Amino acid sequence: MSVTNLLENWSQFRHGHPVDDKPHEEYKWAMAIDLDACTGCNACSVACYAENNIPVVGKEKFNAGQQMHWMRIERYWPEDGREFADQGAQFLPMMCQQCEAAPCETVCPAGATNHTADGVNSQIYNRCVGSRYCSANCPFKVRYFNWYDYPSTDNVWPAEMTQQLNPDVSVRSKGVMEKCTFCVQRMTAAKNTARNEGRLVRDGEVQTACQQACPTNAISFGNLVDPESKVAKQWAHQQVELSKEVQAKDAQEGGTDLRGYRIMEELRLYPSVMYLERVRESAI
Amino acid sequence: MIENGFNRRDFLKVLGWGGAVVALSGCGNTSVQDGAEIVTSYVEPPEYALPGIGVYFNSTCAQCDAGCSITGRVREGRVLKLEGNASSAINRGKLCGLGQAGVQAHYNPDRVREPLLRNGDKGEAITWDKALGLINEKLNGVKGDEIAFLTGAVSGHVKVLLKNYLEALGSKNHYAYDAVAPSVVRAANKKAYGVEMPRLRLDKAQVVVSFGADFLGAWVSPVHFSQEYAQFRKGSDGARGVLVQIESKMTLTGANADRWIAIRPGTEGILALGVINALDAAGLSLPADVAAVSKAYNAERVSKDTGVSAEQISKLATLLKARTPSLVIAGGAAEGYKHGSQNAAAIALLNRVLGNIGKTIEAPANVPFPQVAVTTGNRSSVQALNDSMANGKLKVLFSYGVNPVFTAPAALKFQDNLKKVSFKVVFANYLDETALAADLVLPLDSALEDWGTAVPEYLVEAAQLNIQQPLMEKLHAGTRGTGDILLALLKQRRANEYKDYEDFYSYLRSAVVKNKSALGGAGADDDTFWGETLSEGLVKLPASNGALSAKSSAAGLVLPAPAEEDSAYPLHLIPAVTANLRDGRHANQPWLQESPDPLTTIVWDSWVELHPKTAAKLGIVEGDIVEVTSRSGSVKAQAYLFPGIHPDAVSIPLGNGHTALGRWAKGVGINAFSLLDQVVDKDTGELALNETRVKIGKTGKRVMIVKDEGAAGGSQAGKKIAVSASTDEVELSGEV
Amino acid sequence: MEKDISESIAWAKINGDVLKSLEAPRKLYWVILVAALTLFGVGLGCEVYQYQIGMGVANLNNPHVWGLYIATFIFWIGMSHSGTLLSAILHLMHADWRKPIYRFAEAMTTFSLMTAGLFVMVHLGRLWQFYYSVPYPNERGLWPNFQSPLLWDAMAIFTYLSSSVIFLFIGMIPDLAICRDHLHEGWRKKLYTILSLGWEGTDRQWRNFRVTYLTVACFLIPLAVSVHSIVASDFAMSQQPGWHVTSFPPYFVAGALYSGCAAIITLFIILRYVFRFEEYMTLPILKKVARLTFAISMVWTYLNAIEFAAVWYSHDQAAKDVLLQKAMGPYAPFWWMMIFCGSVVPLMLAVKRFQTNIPVLFAVSLLLNLGMWLERWMIVAPTFSHGYYPWTWDGFQWPSWVQWGMVFGSFGWFTLLFMLFCKIFPSVSMYEVKEMVYHRSLASKKNELAEKGAH
Ligand SMILES: Nc1nc2c(c(=O)[nH]1)N[C@H]1C(S)=C(S)[C@@H](COP(=O)(O)OP(=O)(O)OC[C@H]3O[C@@H](n4cnc5c(=O)[nH]c(N)nc54)[C@H](O)[C@@H]3O)O[C@H]1N2
Ligand SMILES: Nc1nc2c(c(=O)[nH]1)N[C@H]1C(S)=C(S)[C@@H](COP(=O)(O)OP(=O)(O)OC[C@H]3O[C@@H](n4cnc5c(=O)[nH]c(N)nc54)[C@H](O)[C@@H]3O)O[C@H]1N2
Ligand code: SF4
Ligand code: SF4
Ligand code: SF4
Ligand code: SF4
Ligand code: SF4
Ligand SMILES: [Mo]
Repeated sequence: MSVTNLLENWSQFRHGHPVDDKPHEEYKWAMAIDLDACTGCNACSVACYAENNIPVVGKEKFNAGQQMHWMRIERYWPEDGREFADQGAQFLPMMCQQCEAAPCETVCPAGATNHTADGVNSQIYNRCVGSRYCSANCPFKVRYFNWYDYPSTDNVWPAEMTQQLNPDVSVRSKGVMEKCTFCVQRMTAAKNTARNEGRLVRDGEVQTACQQACPTNAISFGNLVDPESKVAKQWAHQQVELSKEVQAKDAQEGGTDLRGYRIMEELRLYPSVMYLERVRESAI
Repeated sequence: MIENGFNRRDFLKVLGWGGAVVALSGCGNTSVQDGAEIVTSYVEPPEYALPGIGVYFNSTCAQCDAGCSITGRVREGRVLKLEGNASSAINRGKLCGLGQAGVQAHYNPDRVREPLLRNGDKGEAITWDKALGLINEKLNGVKGDEIAFLTGAVSGHVKVLLKNYLEALGSKNHYAYDAVAPSVVRAANKKAYGVEMPRLRLDKAQVVVSFGADFLGAWVSPVHFSQEYAQFRKGSDGARGVLVQIESKMTLTGANADRWIAIRPGTEGILALGVINALDAAGLSLPADVAAVSKAYNAERVSKDTGVSAEQISKLATLLKARTPSLVIAGGAAEGYKHGSQNAAAIALLNRVLGNIGKTIEAPANVPFPQVAVTTGNRSSVQALNDSMANGKLKVLFSYGVNPVFTAPAALKFQDNLKKVSFKVVFANYLDETALAADLVLPLDSALEDWGTAVPEYLVEAAQLNIQQPLMEKLHAGTRGTGDILLALLKQRRANEYKDYEDFYSYLRSAVVKNKSALGGAGADDDTFWGETLSEGLVKLPASNGALSAKSSAAGLVLPAPAEEDSAYPLHLIPAVTANLRDGRHANQPWLQESPDPLTTIVWDSWVELHPKTAAKLGIVEGDIVEVTSRSGSVKAQAYLFPGIHPDAVSIPLGNGHTALGRWAKGVGINAFSLLDQVVDKDTGELALNETRVKIGKTGKRVMIVKDEGAAGGSQAGKKIAVSASTDEVELSGEV
Repeated sequence: MEKDISESIAWAKINGDVLKSLEAPRKLYWVILVAALTLFGVGLGCEVYQYQIGMGVANLNNPHVWGLYIATFIFWIGMSHSGTLLSAILHLMHADWRKPIYRFAEAMTTFSLMTAGLFVMVHLGRLWQFYYSVPYPNERGLWPNFQSPLLWDAMAIFTYLSSSVIFLFIGMIPDLAICRDHLHEGWRKKLYTILSLGWEGTDRQWRNFRVTYLTVACFLIPLAVSVHSIVASDFAMSQQPGWHVTSFPPYFVAGALYSGCAAIITLFIILRYVFRFEEYMTLPILKKVARLTFAISMVWTYLNAIEFAAVWYSHDQAAKDVLLQKAMGPYAPFWWMMIFCGSVVPLMLAVKRFQTNIPVLFAVSLLLNLGMWLERWMIVAPTFSHGYYPWTWDGFQWPSWVQWGMVFGSFGWFTLLFMLFCKIFPSVSMYEVKEMVYHRSLASKKNELAEKGAH
C-alpha cells in the first residue's frame, strides 16, 4: 500500500459509526436482553466458555482479578437500606456492548480492534501487541487480557481437555486482548451460507452461544438493518435508536412506560446492546 | 448487494481452516510409540467425521435427573459443545450451565481408565475379564439378601437390566439414593394429589407462591421451569405473572421474586395456614375441614411464629384472591424439617383452597412402560442401607452413580459401616470418595460415550423415552458402558436368556425396535425406525394422561410450634443446593467451579452465609474464617454477609469439600454434609436436611473472598446500570 | 550579588579540571557504578521472567491493566525535560549561569528518554510484536492506527530522542576537540577525533556552530512541550474519569520541568562532589536552580489546584468520585504523600538559608522526585480502581515485586548510562565555562571602572 493510496482512501478507513451519510448496508448486529426474564442462572456465561475457548484460570488467578469470562453476570442489591433484600436481587448479563463509537478502537495503536462493516467491534488477536490501552478506555471493562499463556498453564487445558476446543475460534496466546465477539464465527458461517445461496442471513439463522443456551430466552440477537428481525422490532417498540445518545422518549415529560435502555448512553458510545428493565410487581 | 463470488482468498481460508483442523485432530489420533508416528489419513474419514464441518447428534443430558435432551456438536470425531435439542418438550433447545459442562465430565483428565482392584492402599489395574470373573467368584455362596445394589435415580433399560441382575442374584436390595431429592414433597404430593410429581403449570398461573422451591436453580427440572417462568413473566397481553418466594435462605428463584419473604426456619406450614386464614378473612369460602384447621392461625399468631408481618400476609392473601389461577409450590426449604411432610401438606392445602388443582396443577403423563419409568432416589434408602451394613448383614455391595461416602450425613458414620461389607464394587467415572473405599472399581464410559435410555421423572406434555447415544468414540479403551457391564454380569447368571445380545447396544436396539408399534413406529422397517429414533434423540410415548385424585385434606395435619431456642447451638443450618454443584458429583468440572455462584458471586470455594445482623452480633465481618459446629461435626470456612437470609439461619452450599474426585475438586472448600445431624421427617423417615443446629465461632483468621463482585459490593453507586421498574411504571402489552 | 563563577580561573585550569573527570573520579564513582549495574541486573531479571511467564506476574489485572510501568514511563519522560529546559530555553534567554551545568542536563535528557522507552517495551503484552504499532511500510499493507495517542507517543518520543542526541552532540563538538588535543593516544583519542568532526575553532566554524546550535535549540523547545503534551494525551484523549482532563498537557509539562529541575539538583550535587567540580558547579548556580525549582513547583501546585477545581465545577460525578477516592480511598496515603512532597516540601526552597545548603537541597531534591514519581502513579492507578463501572471497582492492586524490580532497575539503567557518559565525555562544557569566565572578567572590569567613576 502506498502512502498516496493511504492518504486518498483514509477517509474511508476512518469512517466511524453511527453516521447518517453512510448507514450500515446489509447487517448491523445487535442484541436485546430482557432483565425481567433473566434469572441470573449463568448458563449463557458457561456457553460462552464452551463456544469461545475461554480459559478457566483457577482460584489463585481469579483472586488476582485475572478471570476471563467474556460474559459476566453481575448481581446488584437494591440500595434501600431494608433489613432483607425483599425484592430479590437484580442480575445483569454484561459483555462487550459492541459500541458503534467504541472508545477502545480509537486508542489501539496497532489497529487490532476495529469496527466491522456489520457494526461489530472486532478483535484481531494476531495484530494485538498487548498494550491494553483498549481496556483502559473501555467504560464497561469487558475486555480480558491473557496475562499468562493459558494453553500451557497447568490444569487449564490438560491434553484431554484440548479436544473440546472449538476449531472455529483461535486459542489465544499470552499477551493478547480478548472479549465478546458476538460469536463472530457463527455470524461468518451464516453469512457464507447465505452468500452461497445468494441471499441475506435470515432472522434467527444465527444465534450467539449465550442466546442459544439461555433457558428463559432473555437474549435476542439479530440484524438491526432488517426491520422484520425480532431485534429490530424490539428496538423499534422500545423506541431506542442506535445513533442517539439521548432518546426522544426519555425527554418526554414524566418519563416513559417503555423498558428499553442502553447503559451509559450519555458517554456517546452508541452500544449495540439494549437492555429491558427488570420489573417488580407493585401490588405485593 | 450480495457478493456471490467465492473468491480465491475465501477459498484458501476455508482450505486453511479445514487443513488446520485435520492436522489438529490428526494429532489427537496419533499414537507415539518408540518415536514412530502413525499418522491417520483422512483420505477416507469415518462417516461421522466430515473434515471442517460440524455435525450434530442428539442424546440425553446426564448431569442431573431432569432429562433434558442434548445436541452435541461434533467435528472431526470430537464432541465440542452441548446444546439443547429443540424437539424435547422438557428443555426445548435450551441447556443449563451444568448440562453444558457435560463435555468436561467426558474429557476430564481424572477419569478412571481401567478396572482397579484394591491391593492394600493402592488400586492395581486388572483386566475386565479378571474383574468380572472376580465378581462372579465373590458372589458364590453369598445369599441374595447379603447383596445390595446402591444407585441414584435410575430409569430406562439400564434399570431393567439392573432389576434382572438383582433378581438373578436373588436379592431385593436395590437402594436408590439421592441426597438432595425432593422426596418429602413427593410423598406429600402423593397424599394431596394422588401423584408424586404433578405437572406444575407456571405458564398458566398468574401468581406463583413458592415455599422454597428453587425451580429456577436446582429443583426438579430447572431448564423446563425457567422456560415456563419466562412465559409466566410475559403473561398474556401484558398481565405479568407475580412470583412470591418464601424461604429462610434466598435461592436463585428467591432472587427473582417480586417479593421475597424471609421466614423463620421451619414455620412454612404455619404461614401457609395463616394465608388460608387470611383468605378466609378476605371472603374466600373455605371447605369445612380446612376452615376448622386454619381458624387457629390468625394473623397475629402466625406473624409472631413466622416472623412475617401481618400486613404482608394479608397482602399476599389479597393478591392470591384477586389473581387466579395461581400456583403454590412446596420445595426443599419447606420439607427439610422433622415436620416437613406436614409443612408440605399445609402448603398443598393452599392449592386446594385456591382451586388450583386441575388448573395449574395437572396430572402428569403416564409412562406406558412402567419397567423403564424412573425409580427416584431418596435419603431414607441410604439410611436403610447403612443400617444393614452396620448390622454386618451385607457381604457384597454394588454402587453406581452415587457417592455416599461424601454425601451421607456425618451422623450415619457411613464410611465406617462400609468397611464391614467384605466386597464392594463401585462403578465409577472418577475416583471419588466412594470409589476410593471400594475393593473393585469398574471404570465407566462417560455419558457421551455410552448407550442408554432414560425416562425423566418430571414429564411435560407426553411421556418420553430419552435416547442416550455415543457422540464420539471412546476416549479410553479400558472403560465400559454401564449397560455392557450389567449385561456381562447377567450373562454370568442367565447366559441363555441373553445369548442373543452381543452387547448392550444390540440389547437396547432390539428392546426398542421390538416395541416400535407402541412407540409410534408402526409399519416402519426396523432400520428406519431405529435410525429415526437415534436421529431424533428421543421417542415421544403415546399420550395417556392420568388423573389427579384431589385428596388434599386437612385431617391429620399437625404443625408443631416454631422450634425452640437451642442455647448451645443457636442457629439453623440450611445446606444450600446450588444449580452448579448439586450434591457434589460435578465439583470436578472447572466451568462450574469458575462460574460464580449467582447470589454471592463466589468461585472455587465454600462459604458461610450470615445475615449482617447476625454477623454484627457475633462480631464477624466478610472473609472471617469461622468455625461452624454442629452436634455431628465442624467445619471452617469464610463468612459472607448476605441480605437474603433469616437472622436465625446460616447457610453453607453443598457440593464442595472433596477429598478426592480429581484435580479440580479435591481440596476445594468444605463439605457441609459432614455437619448434618441424623434427624428425619416423622412421616417419611427422610433425612430432614434443615434440622441441624449449629453454633459459630471466629477463628481469628481472615481471607479475601475470591468472588466476581468488586469492592462496590453489588452497589450501582447511583448509576443507571441495572434498572428496575415497578409494574405501574411500565406498559408491557404490545411488547415484541 | 555573589558571583556564579570566579573570573580568576585560568583557561588552562578549566581544561585540566574537566579533563581530569575523564580520568580520575573519586571512589564514590565506582560505588555508584556498581550499585547501578546491580539494580539494572535486577530489572533485567524481572523482565526476562515476565517475558517468559506473561504479564500476569506483574500482578496487573482487569481493570488494573496498567501499573507502575506506565507511571514510571511518564516519570522518565518528565525527567527528560531538564536538559531541554537548561540548554535550550535558558540558552535562548541568555541565562549565562546555565553554562557549567547544561551538558550533564542534556545527557540526562537523552538517557531518561532511553529509559522511558524501555518501559513502553516491558509494558507490552507481546513485546516481540512491538513493531506492529510503528508505521513501517509492509507487504500486508497494514498501518498502525494513526488515531491512537500511543502512536503519537511513539513518534514524538523517537523524534525527541533523536533531536536531543543531535543537540547534545553538537554542543559538545568544541569540547570534543579539546579532548582530542589533550588526551594520550588510545581508543578515546580515536573516538574524539572522529566525533569532533575536524573542529579547529576557525571563525567560520564558530559562526556555523552558533547558528546550528541555536536552530536545534529552537526546534527542541516546541518538541519538548509537545512530547509531554502527547504523553498527557494518552490520558486526556481517553474517556476515563480522572484522565479526561483538559489541563493535562500543561500540567504534564509543568510536572516534567519540575521533576527535571529536581533531578538536576540531585545530580548537580553528586557530580560536584564525585568529579570535584566545586569551582564550576558553584553554590550561586545551585541557588539559582533551587529558585527556579521553587517557581516551577508553585506552577505545578497551581495547575493541580486547577485540575481539582475543574473537576469539581464540571459536576462530572465519575471524575469527582475518582478525585475523592484519591484523597480518601486506598490510594490516599500515596496521594497525600504526593501533595506533601510536591507542594509542601518545595517551600523549603523559599528559605534563603536552605538555597545553598547542600545536604538540605540534596534531601529536598530526592523528596521532590519521589513526589513527582508518586504523581504519575496517582494519575494512572486510581482511575482503574474507580472508573465508570462500579462492578469492576477494585480497591487496590498492589504491584508485584516484578514491577518494583523493573522500576528500580530503571534507575540503575539510567545511572549506569549517565555515569558512563560522565566518564567518557566532558560533563562540564569547557568552552562555555571559558566564555562565562571571560564575560565575568569583562563585567568585573566594567564594575571596577564604574567604581572609579569612569563611564
Ligand atoms: N497467503 C497465501 N499466499 C499464497 C498461497 C496461499 O495459499 N496463501 N498460495 C501460493 C500459490 S500455490 C500460488 S499458485 C500463488 C498464486 O498467486 P497469484 O498468481 O497471484 O494468484 P491469484 O491471486 O489467484 O491471481 C493473480 C491475478 O491474476 C488475475 N487473472 C485471472 N485470470 C487472468 C488472465 O487470464 N490474464 C491475466 N493477465 N490475469 C488474470 C486475477 O484476477 C488476479 O488478480 O499464490 C501463492 N501465495
Ligand atoms: N477455488 C480455487 N481452487 C484452487 C486455487 C484457487 O485459487 N482457487 N488454486 C489452486 C492452486 S494454484 C493450488 S497450488 C492448490 C493448492 O491446494 P492444496 O495443495 O490443497 O493447498 P493447501 O491447502 O495450501 O495445503 C494442503 C495441506 O497441507 C498442509 N501442510 C502444510 N505444511 C505441511 C507439511 O510440511 N507436511 C504435510 N504433510 N502437510 C503440510 C496444510 O496444513 C494443508 O492442510 O489449489 C488449487 N485450487
Ligand atoms: S464495550 Fe468496551 S470493548 Fe466493547 S466496543 Fe464498547 S468500548 Fe469497546
Ligand atoms: S491490547 Fe491489543 S487490541 Fe488492545 S489496544 Fe493494545 S494492541 Fe490494541
Ligand atoms: S455473543 Fe458470543 S462471545 Fe459474546 S457473550 Fe455471547 S456467547 Fe460470548
Ligand atoms: S442464561 Fe439467560 S437467564 Fe441465565 S443468566 Fe444468562 S441471560 Fe440470564
Ligand atoms: S437441568 Fe439437568 S438435565 Fe437439564 S440441562 Fe441442566 S443438568 Fe442437564
Ligand atoms: Mo499454486
